Amino acid sequence: MITFSNVSLIYPNSTQAVVENLSFTIAEGEFVLVMGPTGVGKSSLLRLINGLVPHHTGGILAGDVSVDGISTRNVKPGGLAHLVGFVGQNPLNGFVTDIVEEELAFGMETLNLAPDVMRKRVEEVLDLLSLAHLRQRSIATLSGGEQQRVAIGSALVMHPKVLVLDEPTSALDPIAAEEVLSILHRLVHDLSLTVVIAEHKLERVIQFADRVIYILGNGLVHIGTPAEILKTSQIAPPIVHLARALNLPDVALTVRDMRRMSAPLRDRLSKIPQPIPPVVNSTEGIVHVAGVWLAYGNKSALRDISLTIHRGEIVAVMGRNGAGKSSLLRSIVGVLEVERGKISLLGKDPHTLRGRERTQLAGFIPQEPSDILYGQSVSQECAQADRDNHVDPGETLALLQKLVPGISPTTHPRDLSEGQRLALALSVVLSAHPELLVLDEPTRGLDYSSKNSLTTILKSVASENRAVILATHDVELVAQVATRVIFIADGEIVADGSTVDVLLSSPAFAPQVAKVMSPAPYLTVKDIVDAMRNSP
Amino acid sequence: MHRSLHPLLWWIWAGSLAIGVAKASSVLIACAVVGAVAIVVYRKSEKTPWAASFRWALKVGLWVIAIRISAGVLIGVPIPGQTLFTLPILPLPSWMAGIRIGGPVTLERVTATAHEGLIMAAIIALLGAAASLSSPHRLLRSLPVMVYEFGVAVVIATSILPQLVASIARIHDAQKLRGQETRGFMKWRRIALPLLESSLSRSLDLAAAMDARGYGYSRKRSRYRPIPWSARELLICLIAILALAKPQYVLLGAALAPLFLAPSQREEVLR
Repeated sequence: MITFSNVSLIYPNSTQAVVENLSFTIAEGEFVLVMGPTGVGKSSLLRLINGLVPHHTGGILAGDVSVDGISTRNVKPGGLAHLVGFVGQNPLNGFVTDIVEEELAFGMETLNLAPDVMRKRVEEVLDLLSLAHLRQRSIATLSGGEQQRVAIGSALVMHPKVLVLDEPTSALDPIAAEEVLSILHRLVHDLSLTVVIAEHKLERVIQFADRVIYILGNGLVHIGTPAEILKTSQIAPPIVHLARALNLPDVALTVRDMRRMSAPLRDRLSKIPQPIPPVVNSTEGIVHVAGVWLAYGNKSALRDISLTIHRGEIVAVMGRNGAGKSSLLRSIVGVLEVERGKISLLGKDPHTLRGRERTQLAGFIPQEPSDILYGQSVSQECAQADRDNHVDPGETLALLQKLVPGISPTTHPRDLSEGQRLALALSVVLSAHPELLVLDEPTRGLDYSSKNSLTTILKSVASENRAVILATHDVELVAQVATRVIFIADGEIVADGSTVDVLLSSPAFAPQVAKVMSPAPYLTVKDIVDAMRNSP
Repeated sequence: MHRSLHPLLWWIWAGSLAIGVAKASSVLIACAVVGAVAIVVYRKSEKTPWAASFRWALKVGLWVIAIRISAGVLIGVPIPGQTLFTLPILPLPSWMAGIRIGGPVTLERVTATAHEGLIMAAIIALLGAAASLSSPHRLLRSLPVMVYEFGVAVVIATSILPQLVASIARIHDAQKLRGQETRGFMKWRRIALPLLESSLSRSLDLAAAMDARGYGYSRKRSRYRPIPWSARELLICLIAILALAKPQYVLLGAALAPLFLAPSQREEVLR
């Protein structure tokens, strides 16, 4: 269906080729996962399939890419629209109209299909993706998962043979992600659609993949079955890391297989006392939230929230998209003024804080870390932070080098990878030595190694007797880093307790290792390795 | 099903009113028409991101008046009349004869420039009203295929505007949290860069998405459930265009026409 023959791609002003002499064939009805660290060219590879690269982005392409016998060399992306459906990372950026039904029809209108054909196909897709009840809704009011389904639907109405998706679940909560992926799985099996998908969160998608294209950077690419690739690859989901830690001969891709393979381990671990989760025994509160209410118009975002966050805690705030996580975080740092109730940040009302006093009390990393960056280079950004935070010149840059070594000070912040940009934003905020660090969904688009360094940074902040609050959908990150989890639904706190208690109580939010080890309360590979070391 | 008015209607209506206001060139009529339009916007606009366009257009209009008056007072040909006060004259090189900066400011000059500024502001406000009443997306769909290419550029620009406003607020908040309390020019410089970056990447995403969905590939374009014109909508347009012939007070009626002719909210829900 898709044939790459001797494809090399290089962007102008770059010395490093994205891919070099790459040849492979993807058969009809295959589910192919493209994985690799950030900034390595996954998106470029996907966009090569429908010709967006190089027709839309520029770049020098050698070799040939053809889809169903049509070479992208001769045809513009529009000419492949009936053959290749493309779904981007943020569906909202790609919507042209504002009503679900009209959005589905847009592509067919541009291809000049007859009205009765359009009408029939729209109905088909509405049923296929269970969108019928949303047909007249404004897209902006849909949840993240629903929006992603509309984006997939508006590609499917063209009856494509190939569907290409670039990190379709990165902004979704685990349940919405599951919903999108299982639809893809069904399309592959029912309609024999060919799916090519890029994704960082391997634990979500690896079980569906027939084949993996692993891009290592430097033009190196490995292609093979998931089991082959994951046996040696550096990036891998937690269950594979578990299998490696246990020195199992094979890797398992699903929780079910891993449970079968790890039965002796569970036996062995059941004989030793279960791990006692680390308890933060600080009683000194940093944030006190008492009976807080907040509403946008007549839609209430927070209802009667009360909580206390202590020194040394890393608190993860979880919940569906739109549950009120961001509202809570933004009221704690004082961007939003609450309607009823009181928030105090070390005795002060966060909404009245100004300038330096605020940065020393609370540091905030927004969903888009680049929102707080505006320098022309990394060094300029750091120098500005030194001045703003009244610290010695060079301190921020030194902090950045400590967090993530090897960033050139002359780079423009826009040219950094997602992980590096987050580190820059973190060092800008942390150089003020805030007592509280607040992060709003920091893991969007982060690969495993960036997530590991984020984990280290957050743990070191908490160990300095400060506190961290982060809103996230990433259960694996929560399992690694959080000491406490607050679960929010519809503006109310539904669960608040230690990470083990909250994560294990809901199957959708349990990390992979916990599902494998259930009912024993282990959350991460490290927990198990530690427990085995202590066991006789 | 809830059906709002035809999106082109609002642009024809507001465009005719704007031409009428310019033709009538009367401050009284301009203010009355903007007032009437404000009532229509208040009654008819839905809760959409672009509903705020009218308010923004009013703000821009105030700036236009202020700039026009100060420019008129400082620079220009003197108009004889009652002198209010005299500014020192800035000496200019001889080749710039005919232009004078400073000098006596007459009442006539101030009123003439204020009058011009006000008419300009009214026209901007009317176009803002059309933008806040019609969905740019629906407008794109109802444009004739011939002007479609051009229309897309305009619609993308207008649909990005409200997103820009939201981005400004987001970036402003984020920077406040970084301890930035600067105001005025410095504040805008710091917001402009991240803003430009995020809106640019969003536009690129949209362009790529449209490209991938075959936009502009086929010369002909079909319509999925075309938006029909109802008799009432045509009547509103007709009144607005007829008002051009005799702008004086007919304009006011034309401005208020949608209130009486358009189906009420309750009626729409029932349909």
